[in-house]
Amino acid sequence: MLSAQNISKNFITDNKVVPVLKNVSVDIHDGEFVSIVGRSGSGKTTLLNVLSTLVRPDGGELHYGTENLSALSEKRLNRLRQSDFSVIFQFHHLLPYLTVLENTLLPFMQSVRPVKKAAMEKALGCLERVGLADKADRLPGNLSGGEQQRVAIARALVKSSKVLFADEPTGSLDKGTGEKIMGLLSELNNDGLAVVMVTHDPVYAKMAGRSVHIEDGVIV
Amino acid sequence: MNILTIPMRNIRRKPSKTLLLLLVFSLGVMSIVALYEVSQVVGHSLEKKLTAFGANIIISPVSEKLSVSYGGLHMGDMLFDVHDLPEEETVAAIRSIALNDRLSAVAPNLVTMTRVNDTAVALVGVRWKDERGIKSYWAPKGTFPEKPDEVLVGSKAATKLQLKAGDRLSLLGRDFTVSGTLYDTGSDDDTVIFMNLSSLQELQGKPGATSFIEVAALCAGCPIEDIVAQLQEKLPGVEVKALQHVINQRMASIHFVQNLALTISVVILVTAAAMVGLSMMSAVSERKKDIGILRSLGYGKPQVFIIFCLEAGLIGMLSGVVGYLGGFGASFQVLEFLHMAEGGTPIFSSTHLLMAAGLFSLVTVLAAVYPAWKGAGVEPSAALVAL
Ligand SMILES: Nc1ncnc2c1ncn2[C@@H]1O[C@H](COP(=O)(O)OP(=O)(O)OP(=O)(O)O)[C@@H](O)[C@H]1O
Ligand SMILES: [Mg+2]
Repeated sequence: MLSAQNISKNFITDNKVVPVLKNVSVDIHDGEFVSIVGRSGSGKTTLLNVLSTLVRPDGGELHYGTENLSALSEKRLNRLRQSDFSVIFQFHHLLPYLTVLENTLLPFMQSVRPVKKAAMEKALGCLERVGLADKADRLPGNLSGGEQQRVAIARALVKSSKVLFADEPTGSLDKGTGEKIMGLLSELNNDGLAVVMVTHDPVYAKMAGRSVHIEDGVIV
Repeated sequence: MNILTIPMRNIRRKPSKTLLLLLVFSLGVMSIVALYEVSQVVGHSLEKKLTAFGANIIISPVSEKLSVSYGGLHMGDMLFDVHDLPEEETVAAIRSIALNDRLSAVAPNLVTMTRVNDTAVALVGVRWKDERGIKSYWAPKGTFPEKPDEVLVGSKAATKLQLKAGDRLSLLGRDFTVSGTLYDTGSDDDTVIFMNLSSLQELQGKPGATSFIEVAALCAGCPIEDIVAQLQEKLPGVEVKALQHVINQRMASIHFVQNLALTISVVILVTAAAMVGLSMMSAVSERKKDIGILRSLGYGKPQVFIIFCLEAGLIGMLSGVVGYLGGFGASFQVLEFLHMAEGGTPIFSSTHLLMAAGLFSLVTVLAAVYPAWKGAGVEPSAALVAL
């Protein structure tokens, strides 16, 4: 479904070109749960961001279904981000001045057309599913880190995303909360959502169907 | 819940910052509105006051002038075909023009020459009320005439004829009393004797006749050419002449007041807009991550641009409404302070209110264009930057 071929990405630090991804090729299949593991600085986050279209690669090709994402218009890319792809960031995923419900519905608030009632009901259902129905009207500022992450997951659900990208979703959480998030992710994966997750934790990595090892920008 | 929710919520998030911005911009709008209202009233009353310094349109019969010299001897200018204007009809015609409300005074005059103790002097018949409406700078030693057999003597004429208030003199065979003499005016008025128009018409055997009619028109609201054209239309075969130098001087003073107000307004507006622009600029760099989140959720550059513009526009609209109401109220205080409250009152208009709201939201949106464009350029990866 999502296929990356010969992806390369360089960063420029101190006027030197540093290759971070070197001819990386990965395939993510429908409904798959893939974990990306490797040492710190090996290029995991960079790979995940290239896959989720947030960072443009310097070389190689990215295909989603039959579409070549590297050649896609900005508009079509936006549509993909709006519907098929969801990203859970490690720290920052919510607009602090919107309520939990509004944050969940953010993908549907792009025009002056009001959010449909059906979408609103669906959002409440998804918040229910991540266990936050009673906090729908709260502002993110008084939610815990794990709760904020769950709001981002609920948002991915409302969108009916096909792929969920998560960069160390449990990284900033305590053990118990981390396990809850992982439980939620595998549950959603069982329902057909493909999950691509960067993690340091070998236990969580094993929960994924497949692990991709990356070392110094090369898959091993 | 739609795209408007985002800027509205953000405005509410930092109430103190929003309030401060709102306050500054509202104060700006308020000063502009108050300046505008006051300058309207001041300009208007200034013009009314200036009108008191003489007529700016002269209506006279058409005549043909001929300079005659014969045998090397200059025989002066001769006027042919001098007809008098019928007072009642002409005044009625003048008063019937569409721009009648712009005419502040209409003063008929009849002029003739006579001799007093072998000294030639001009006699001018006037309607006291109308004439004084045009020449409010007149100040008499003594009093203004009230009875038909009283006259007012110009300063130079008084010196020459050795006349003072209370003196009696004979004019065209009738006895008159000098009710007062004028202080120097520096104008033609100094050399003549003024009397009641009806009395002069009677003595001349020309009932209802006038030589010319002076008109004082207010031209702040409309060009003098329109008034002249309308008068000409009502008075075919009569000469209607605008005293351009008088009008230009007057309009220059009024335009000065209005231009001053305009200049100050522009300065205030630019300053306030710069404040909004600066605040939007810092808002954009403060919220790079927010923009990254929106972009990662599929918001395009136009949407991000619109969100920031809307945010600024909302502030502009609110300030426009608050500032207009405040400025309107303040203009009364200012007029009172300037002792001009009786010069006219600003008139509330909901159209102006809407225009102010529209105009100032436009200004703030324009001020936000550059920051918003900057914001739209933020890439989705901005959301990835760790705290
Ligand atoms: N925007 C950037 N500019 C310059 N260098 C960067 C940038 N992002 C990442 N790098 C460099 O690229 C390399 C890989 O970074 P990346 O974030 O992908 O590593 P990672 O495997 O996710 O590490 P970690 O486990 O610590 O999160 C690192 O050496 C990092 O310093
Ligand atoms: Mg990383």
